[in-house]
Amino acid sequence: MMNFSLAPSILPPGLTMPASVGMIPLFAANPFTEPVGVIHYLIVGAVLFTAGIACMTLKRNALGILMGIELVLNGANINFVAFSSSYLRAEGAPTLGLDGQVVALFVILLAAAEAAVALAITLNFYNNHATVDVDRADDLKG
Amino acid sequence: MTGLLDMDISSVTHVIVPALATSLPTLPMAGINWHSVLFLLFAGLACGFAVGVVAADNVVRMALYLVFSLGSTAGLFFLAGAEFLGAMQLMIYVGGTLVLLVFGVMLTAQAPFVSIKPSSSDRTLAAVAGASLLALLLTAAFSVDAWMVPGVGEVPAPSATPLGMALIGVRVDTPPNGSPNGGHVGYMLPFEIVSVHLLVVLVGAAYLARAKRRRTPRAIDAVASAMPVESAVVATAAVTVPGRTAGGAKSALVGGGR
Amino acid sequence: MDLESLLPTLLGLAWLLPLASFAVILFAGPRLGNHGKGAAGVATAAIVGSFVLSLFAFISWVAQHPVHAVAHGDHGGAHAAADPTHGSGDHASASHATATGHEPGHDTGHGEAAHGEANHAGSPVHYSGDWYTLYEGGRLKLSIGWYVDALTVLMFVMITFIATCIHVYASGYMHDELHDITDHEVHLADGSHLHRPGRFHRFFQALSLFCFSMLGIVIAGNLAMVFIFWELVGICSWFLIGFYYERKSASNAANKAFIVNRIGDFGMLIGLMALWGALGTLHFADSTGPDGHARPGLFSLIRPPVAGHGQWVPDGMVKFAAAEKVGAVLRSHADDPRAAVEQVEAKVEDWRDEGYGRWLLLVAGLGIFCGCIGKSAQFPLFVWLPDAMEGPTPVSALVHSATMVAAGVYLVGRFYPVLTPDALLVIAYVGAITLFIAATIALVANDIKRVLAYSTVSQLGYMMLALGVGGWLAGLFHLVTHAFFKSLLFLCSGSVIHACHTNDMRKMGGLAKVMPWTSGTMLVGCLAIIGAGIPFLDIGLSGYYSKDSILAQALLFARENPSHSILFYAVAGGAMLTAFYMFRLWFMTFAGQPRDHHVHDHAHESPPVMVYPLVALSILAVVAGWTLPGGFGIANMIEQARPAGTGGIELGGLLFSAFTVPAEHASHAHDIHVTASLTAFATAAAGVLLAALMYVWGIIPPAMVASAVKPLYTFLANRWYFDEIYRFLFVLPVLGVSRLVSGTDKGIIDRFIEGLAWGAKQVAGFDAWLDRTLIDGLVNGTASATYSAGLELKKLQTGQLRQYVMFIALGTVAIFVLAGLLFRSSFAG
Repeated sequence: MMNFSLAPSILPPGLTMPASVGMIPLFAANPFTEPVGVIHYLIVGAVLFTAGIACMTLKRNALGILMGIELVLNGANINFVAFSSSYLRAEGAPTLGLDGQVVALFVILLAAAEAAVALAITLNFYNNHATVDVDRADDLKG
Repeated sequence: MTGLLDMDISSVTHVIVPALATSLPTLPMAGINWHSVLFLLFAGLACGFAVGVVAADNVVRMALYLVFSLGSTAGLFFLAGAEFLGAMQLMIYVGGTLVLLVFGVMLTAQAPFVSIKPSSSDRTLAAVAGASLLALLLTAAFSVDAWMVPGVGEVPAPSATPLGMALIGVRVDTPPNGSPNGGHVGYMLPFEIVSVHLLVVLVGAAYLARAKRRRTPRAIDAVASAMPVESAVVATAAVTVPGRTAGGAKSALVGGGR
Repeated sequence: MDLESLLPTLLGLAWLLPLASFAVILFAGPRLGNHGKGAAGVATAAIVGSFVLSLFAFISWVAQHPVHAVAHGDHGGAHAAADPTHGSGDHASASHATATGHEPGHDTGHGEAAHGEANHAGSPVHYSGDWYTLYEGGRLKLSIGWYVDALTVLMFVMITFIATCIHVYASGYMHDELHDITDHEVHLADGSHLHRPGRFHRFFQALSLFCFSMLGIVIAGNLAMVFIFWELVGICSWFLIGFYYERKSASNAANKAFIVNRIGDFGMLIGLMALWGALGTLHFADSTGPDGHARPGLFSLIRPPVAGHGQWVPDGMVKFAAAEKVGAVLRSHADDPRAAVEQVEAKVEDWRDEGYGRWLLLVAGLGIFCGCIGKSAQFPLFVWLPDAMEGPTPVSALVHSATMVAAGVYLVGRFYPVLTPDALLVIAYVGAITLFIAATIALVANDIKRVLAYSTVSQLGYMMLALGVGGWLAGLFHLVTHAFFKSLLFLCSGSVIHACHTNDMRKMGGLAKVMPWTSGTMLVGCLAIIGAGIPFLDIGLSGYYSKDSILAQALLFARENPSHSILFYAVAGGAMLTAFYMFRLWFMTFAGQPRDHHVHDHAHESPPVMVYPLVALSILAVVAGWTLPGGFGIANMIEQARPAGTGGIELGGLLFSAFTVPAEHASHAHDIHVTASLTAFATAAAGVLLAALMYVWGIIPPAMVASAVKPLYTFLANRWYFDEIYRFLFVLPVLGVSRLVSGTDKGIIDRFIEGLAWGAKQVAGFDAWLDRTLIDGLVNGTASATYSAGLELKKLQTGQLRQYVMFIALGTVAIFVLAGLLFRSSFAG
């Protein structure tokens, strides 16, 4: 059995071996033939989330930070949708169902609202300081 | 036309693709899970463009990449069976929020600010943070067996009716087996709240961004007046031509003289 | 109103009036009259009031208890169990012996021979009681009370009369104190004389307090009260002697008087303690206890009525002395306390016969006498009296001649029943020594007041001797007469000093013409003191009678106890010396040629206010000894107060070999009386003649006599070197010890204390350093560390948005990792 195993000392003991499809781990299986599971979506969501955080951390442009925020929210949305979908799980497995989709919907709405306000703030800042460089916005420096 | 509406992904996988498969004898079509393939496509686009947002220095390019990333996300939503959500994603998020963002980019994309490069130490730090976060998330994701089970493989055509009804407050969908939530809740209240919330945000944003009567001229007017008109036009035109503007602080210094 | 309540009231008021005057002058002295001149009036008024009251009491007494010659036969045993409150004063003079030519002045009735047993009359008439009880509990009763008999009343009259004369005299004599005075005997540091305001009123304030204290001693009903006023009199004397206290000599004299008195009081305390410890009471007369039982007083305890007032050792003293035997009996009967007590009581009689307690009684008596030695300036504590002449002359007249020094004699007389015959003999010898020493020193003294002072000491010795040889009446009689003529002599000397502005007799002379009144009255005084009179007619001045009785008793004693005949010779020799030095004084001062013309020219007679008292006192000096037909006289009045049981024969032998104290009335036997009076006359005449030879006619020049016996003269002129001996024996060692102690205190104890303080300071400094460095450092360090931490933490707030996001992300990761490590559970179900 080819088991992918991380070093036990690193992993918390609670972590178990990943399930395998016919003794092959799912994410090592042929992606063209095997159906995807929740894990795939989670990976995508994680990547988006991390990219969003990295964007927020990295970008000096205020709008770049806003874009990072959008990425973060989208990563979360992907997770919600993944958990709500009944097609990504085995037949009859429990999911979040409709609730997940509704939550993701609200997230989208709130993201829109937040983007509007954030943009207004950024434009205000731009009008007053003639720059969108957030490194210049250090008036609250201690 | 209705037949088009009635079409769903499964028809693509089970009808179109086999049709393609028969017409493409070279491909080993039998056994290909087109669901997974499409998933791979959209996932790759989403992740790739997301990374591109991070990596890009030009804010305009960042915006474009973000649009593509979020559009791919909508595709992912469709593949997961949440087509209403996917539609909403495209309409609200991509078509609304990101457009707003692009407006913002346009308004502020003066030459000096188009690309502001962070220092290399910042990049290292961000990379470390991102990597650690990603590791954590993946570790968490891989820790649950239930999520590693492969899915059904195909998505029948769900409708948006249950979701709409749920927003009004009536749950018409059947709870999945073993759902932890035995009793459904309607989402009437959050719906209303969000409505008011959007109204408030509208008003607030309008107020925040209003044109204020100023005794002293705005700093931005000083900058704008300092720059000659033609260079402003050139700067604006540079937005549409990617790659033209030189990145980094150097351009910011010489940008005013051009 | 009966005497029992009248006398205490009158005498109590008379006693307290001077206290009121003292209080008034104390608080309002300077404001009374011009410069306080009114103080004299207040004091004189008070003492005159006292005199009037005393006179009234005297008259009341004499009315109720007529004074007449008491027959000695009535001392017989019929009144052995007489009720103490009824006296023998009601007896008619049953058996007046046939006249033997004795004029008034002598007791008649010598029919009876001496009594063989100690069985004498009942208690004399006396009244006793308590005004105020300070404390009463158990065996002790401290109270302010009175004991009034004939002697008390007589003493009151005498003291207040003399005090009145002296108050009047002093109001003139002290007029210098009404304005500022420059005291030429005081030299300040810069050589000038002291200039001070006058203190006229203070003099009368102290004089009033003194009168109050003296009368307190006289009226006292118990020994504790006597002691209190004893000390009070000492303090007043101290103040009066040291009235000119800026003079070193005066302040030293005052201290000397007080300290020497105090030494005597030490013995008195021992006597007091012996009496109280053994007998449990200090009252003279019987009283009633709080439970209604009779509490016998000292007199009844020691001379109980049941045994005819014979002296015996009381039960308490026997048990006190035989304490070991008592303890043995009690221990043998430890199981039955009542039987033990009965056994003890049964054995008391045996123990008494064995002689237990006699020494204790002797010690008690001698202890009390020690106080009298100090107060009455007997040997060896007489050194203070001559120095006490530093005080103003009225003080010398009142305090140091008539009253305070008489207090000792009075106390011996009052305490007579308690004194054992051996104690009496000791008293007699002390008196004899004293009279001799003082008389010899007076022979060569040149200061007029010193002569009189030593004369006082000598006369006090006479009185003590008289009391000691059994002459109770003689001693007290001499006390009264001496008071009159000695105060007269002092006032006259004061008058002379006032006129001549000097005390030195060598500068005086021939003053008789210039100061007739003074010289005349002083002559009367001198005649009185030598006992001038006509023997066979029994007429004489007051001193004649009293001195005669002393001589008679001494002669009787010498006859009864030939081994102690020295006592008689001392008396006789003293009489000659007295006559000599008194007339030496008179001749040197008033007769002959003036030795210093400057003094003589400035001399003048004293103002009338000073002469009137002289005349009054001289009259009394003449008549005080006379007995009127019918028996009224001072001697007979004193006889009324004779303590129960005394006056008869006493046998002694504890301290000395067996001797007899003869009965006093036997001294009136004809042969003794004649011998005594002839001896007195002869010695007095011889003394006067010798003085005249030396100082009037100049036949025997004094200088020649002095050089002939130069060593003796020097010895006498230096007052037997008593002061030097005392200084060497007592003063210098005490000063040395005090220097040693002072040095120890300063060098060792103070150094130690300072060392402790230094140590404490060092510890304090160390603590301060600790506090500053450690504790303050800790607190300040904490504060500065917190501040630096804050400053460092402040750097976190860069205001950089991206950094904040970074921290959020990293923090979240960290939290989750930690949670995962700690809780070891999977993240999702």
